[in-house]
Amino acid sequence: MNQEYRVEDKVMAKHHPELDILTEHAAGSLSLAQTACVAAHLNYCHCCSQTVSRLQAVGAAMFESLDPEPVGDALLDRVLARLDEEAPLSYQPARRSGQDATPALLSRLMAGDFSDLVWKKVTDALRITPIRTGDPQFEFSLLHIKAGGEIPPHDHRGSEMTLVLQGGFSDDRGSYHPGDFIYRSANDVHAPRAFADEDCLCLAVIDAPLRFTGWKYRWMNPFLRLQAG
Amino acid sequence: MDEKTGTSRDQGDVAKTIPTGRRTDEWSECLVLIANKQDRAAYTRLFRHFAPLIKAFALSGSALSATHADELVQEVMLKIWQKAGGFNPEKAAASTWVYTIARNCRTDMFRRLNKFDTPLAAEDFSPDQEHEEPFMQLQSRRSADRIREMMKNLPADQTQIIAKVYMEGKSHAEAASELDLPLGTVKSRVRLAVQKMQAQFEVSQESR
Repeated sequence: MNQEYRVEDKVMAKHHPELDILTEHAAGSLSLAQTACVAAHLNYCHCCSQTVSRLQAVGAAMFESLDPEPVGDALLDRVLARLDEEAPLSYQPARRSGQDATPALLSRLMAGDFSDLVWKKVTDALRITPIRTGDPQFEFSLLHIKAGGEIPPHDHRGSEMTLVLQGGFSDDRGSYHPGDFIYRSANDVHAPRAFADEDCLCLAVIDAPLRFTGWKYRWMNPFLRLQAG
Repeated sequence: MDEKTGTSRDQGDVAKTIPTGRRTDEWSECLVLIANKQDRAAYTRLFRHFAPLIKAFALSGSALSATHADELVQEVMLKIWQKAGGFNPEKAAASTWVYTIARNCRTDMFRRLNKFDTPLAAEDFSPDQEHEEPFMQLQSRRSADRIREMMKNLPADQTQIIAKVYMEGKSHAEAASELDLPLGTVKSRVRLAVQKMQAQFEVSQESR
């Protein structure tokens, strides 16, 4: 695991979600799988976390400016009557151990370690394992690319969010390290290649199956199905 | 409910009178009283202020029925009672803390109503308050007032869209199709509005 990308060291990722994605995240209007991916990036990126708290404060200001809807005393009484059974909880927020760079949210979803997952081979270099989030529209999966391996040129019929977890990869637009967040819209063709010295582990959220564009792999397209849910 | 005074504010650099005149900190004090003393009077004050806002939030864009809106009010208010111990007035404005709980509960309610089968609750996606920097957050209490001011001066087309995104919980794509606008237009309006409001934070940090 890359030491230099630890959250505690506050080393920033270099590729970030755009402001509109962060706004949707802060407003709670992203789909579940996408919001999980953005939340995982925030885990690595202090700067985006700060932006999100500001965006939440914007939401709070709007919330406070709403025209209040009258709430009857009956409702207040009902709530007051329940306070005894719902005593305030007193606790210190759990501290993250700092030993593990894997976002806590992701660990929960995986219910285990990367090695406990069932990896499906797509090409020699690429293995995928879908993770269940309950999102009916978006597939949330982990991608494993062998060191130096390339994913054949492909596009997406929908959007793709990617977060690098370990190792890294590069494509025609740049190179990406742990914590880096990449968003591609539909019809954006790219051919990511993992760094030569380390296997690459990524989180990917897509709403349509990828589609290989090269003749060599095109035959596989009908077999690539979205595994949302 | 709003005292139109605004005189209790003693922050010299925020010279403008805030029309609503609320002492923002009243709600932080209530939360602390609830956490430390289980103070029901403070809780009742908080309820009378926030419950009508939570209900309005629930009903925004007729997202929820009246029955579900009342259910949401109860759920959020009970969460506030339970979680008050986790509120840190040094780090967050009470309104942001309450809004975040309301937003999470509403998202969870949407998912329940749509029969989502998910192991996650919306609050699992929020980073821990402990990670927040006190400096920025202290500013944000004053900034909240400035943002509210600012919002009144936004062009109507921007206000309409950010209300859809924030208060109705619509994605940019959903907002675009409801308003019959290109997605790019929606995105740039949201960005313009949000950048203007965000800029209020930078202003307040410089004026320190």
